[in-house]
Amino acid sequence: MKEGTYPDDDTLLAELGRVVDQVDPPPAGLAERVQFALALEDLDVEVARWERADAMAGVRSVDQGTITFTVSDLTVMINLTKVGMGHRIDGWLVPEGEYGVEVRVAGHGSSSTTADDGGRFVLDSVPRGTTQIVVYIDGASCRRTVVTPAVVL
Amino acid sequence: MTDARTAEADPPWEGLRGHDLYAACMHEARVGNRAAMNRLVTELTPLVWQVARGNGLDAHTAEDVVQTVWLALFRHLDRLTDARALAAWLITTTRREAQRVGKKPRSMPLTDELAEAVPSTQPAPEAEAVRVDRDRRLWQAFGELPQRCQELLRLTVLAGRAEYRLVAETLRMPHGSIGPTRSRCLKTMRDLLEAQGGSA
Repeated sequence: MKEGTYPDDDTLLAELGRVVDQVDPPPAGLAERVQFALALEDLDVEVARWERADAMAGVRSVDQGTITFTVSDLTVMINLTKVGMGHRIDGWLVPEGEYGVEVRVAGHGSSSTTADDGGRFVLDSVPRGTTQIVVYIDGASCRRTVVTPAVVL
Repeated sequence: MTDARTAEADPPWEGLRGHDLYAACMHEARVGNRAAMNRLVTELTPLVWQVARGNGLDAHTAEDVVQTVWLALFRHLDRLTDARALAAWLITTTRREAQRVGKKPRSMPLTDELAEAVPSTQPAPEAEAVRVDRDRRLWQAFGELPQRCQELLRLTVLAGRAEYRLVAETLRMPHGSIGPTRSRCLKTMRDLLEAQGGSA
């Protein structure tokens, strides 16, 4: 057999399966993060996307820096600052609004605040770990809940 | 005495597999049983992942899509009455979501990922080095396949495993058979592997 060839389709598929498992398995803890994201009281939510700059590609867990999440017409930006064992989260909602903001951390319950009229909010000493931010938009015409994916912060 | 059993110790889906497992979990999930939801997530996240990656999403975006798809499932669980439709629903929804968020289809830097996954800097025994090189070529050829082929082959590999036999049904793929489209994809992959030969 010539090196690098595969005698039949079954062999080729089996080898492909092995390589996919090795190179591209579901990330460790993905199912657990999904389960954490699902542990919301009300699942009638919109999920925002984590907008990553190209420079961030390949970095899922960030210690410090700004992270942007977007969904349709709302942008949630957060800036993380390491403080002791946790983070301070400085956040900004665009468009601005005095919306409720909840930060859930796996194994640590959640902390809540309300954004000011400029859309800014601050949460001190948020524990590190699998984190999800929930924004409760209570507008005149609609009530919506926007969540970020559960991410490791 | 039968009342003594608790949901935690002995969930209604205990020992079930395939459709029966999904049906039992979906039934429990509809009445708010979190453990049932978690069981489905554990069971089928690999499927959702493979579809997301097979549609050209990078790993980070794929992870977001996986979370979105699961939230969507449990939000709309009452609309999905047949457990037999679950795998198909997950595949279709993941595909649609991947198309929605995917910016431009581009080939992923697959060879780099493999390079990271295998310890190539270590001096390896010759047989090991040959295998690693073969794997690298295989992964590269796979990454050059049309998106449709990549998804199909990922699902084919998954469906070949006992716990994902349902995926085979969803793909209408009799056990042990390779459909015409899959054959063409594999043929293309062989051609790509062949073409690499020159640069060896």
